[in-house]
Amino acid sequence: MAFSVISDPSLVRGDIQRAFEDIWQTIAKPGNWWRGADRIAIAAESRNAGSCALCAERKNAISPYSVKGDHRTISNLPPVAVDAVHRITTDVSRLTKSWLGECEDAGLSDGQYVELLGIVVAVISIDGFYRAMGYPLEPLPDPIEGAPSGYRPKAKDQGSWVATVSPADLSAEEADLYGGAPQVGNVIAALSLVPDSVRMLTRLSGVQYLEIQDVPNAASNGGRAISRRQMELLAGRVSSLSDCFY
Amino acid sequence: MLRVSSELEGEKVNLRSVTEGSQVQSGVPFQDELIRFAEVALGDNEAEISEARQQLRDKMGDEAVVDAASVIANFQRMVRIADGAGIPLDTPMAVVTAPMRAELGLDSYGASSNTPALSMLQKILGRIINPFLPVLFKQITRRMSSTEQAAPD
Repeated sequence: MAFSVISDPSLVRGDIQRAFEDIWQTIAKPGNWWRGADRIAIAAESRNAGSCALCAERKNAISPYSVKGDHRTISNLPPVAVDAVHRITTDVSRLTKSWLGECEDAGLSDGQYVELLGIVVAVISIDGFYRAMGYPLEPLPDPIEGAPSGYRPKAKDQGSWVATVSPADLSAEEADLYGGAPQVGNVIAALSLVPDSVRMLTRLSGVQYLEIQDVPNAASNGGRAISRRQMELLAGRVSSLSDCFY
Repeated sequence: MLRVSSELEGEKVNLRSVTEGSQVQSGVPFQDELIRFAEVALGDNEAEISEARQQLRDKMGDEAVVDAASVIANFQRMVRIADGAGIPLDTPMAVVTAPMRAELGLDSYGASSNTPALSMLQKILGRIINPFLPVLFKQITRRMSSTEQAAPD
């Protein structure tokens, strides 16, 4: 699968293009809890959220939970999944644990939520790169047939809203997940209820920021054309503008 | 990491540039172009993005634009993972960054409630450790660099 809309392949590093292609292929496949077609619908719904009037109204409200209504949807996903995708895309900093509990009450399992979250964030970071570079968005891939695996790793409550897998609990299937590290940051483990979501995260971070093992080395810029402090200034500013505490 | 990476380059940094943008001089080279690019890239005004991208390209070149766009996009993902999964700050990080968070007003962010409040002992520990943080990270960096050099190709 070639990423066709990168207008100047000599300008965009090959490792970025290859990673994006890998992510697109992963999203197209059946996951743990969603079929390939559902996963592509989640990706498409994330792209659609920016033009949803309800999301815009909620974004401007003092409390997003005070505004009721229907999302502008383009998929056949369950309404609770559409709501989750739209809120993650447009107003993630105001999500709450009680809202997630209501999602579960409405039939969205924790595994489905984490898988959905992993797809949305992957698409947002690829699309975000395209927008920043002035490229038209890459068409979403065709879904691959097949049933979800239903695989659930040995995850437990470690303080996040969703159960996560600690390095000590990794089974043979996900032994690669944290690169053999005995400890891992909460943000890396956050999606570990669906191991491929962590793999997508580390794959993308490795080309868009730094390889996971280089992150603690404050002298490393991973060979990029901007210095580490310039990278961290960008990271900090984006996080602050997004009201991200972490 | 901004503070530590700056000190490793022998420079001081004003962290308020993270929360207040270009109104504050961070000490980071080309901060105005970088911050402007980050700010507009989070929106959807293509003309503004194009202009900011060109300004950065004029100052730092094509490859820097690609790498800056990559970092900006990367953190659009990371913030959503953190807030979407409701993760708490890792405890050691919560302890050592407590003074900085208070100074920058980060504790007022809604998602701060995902991190349990520090005990009095942890707060005191954070204040004690904070001035030595750059030294600590320098040692980690030195150790990592020497490990990389010693590793066979």
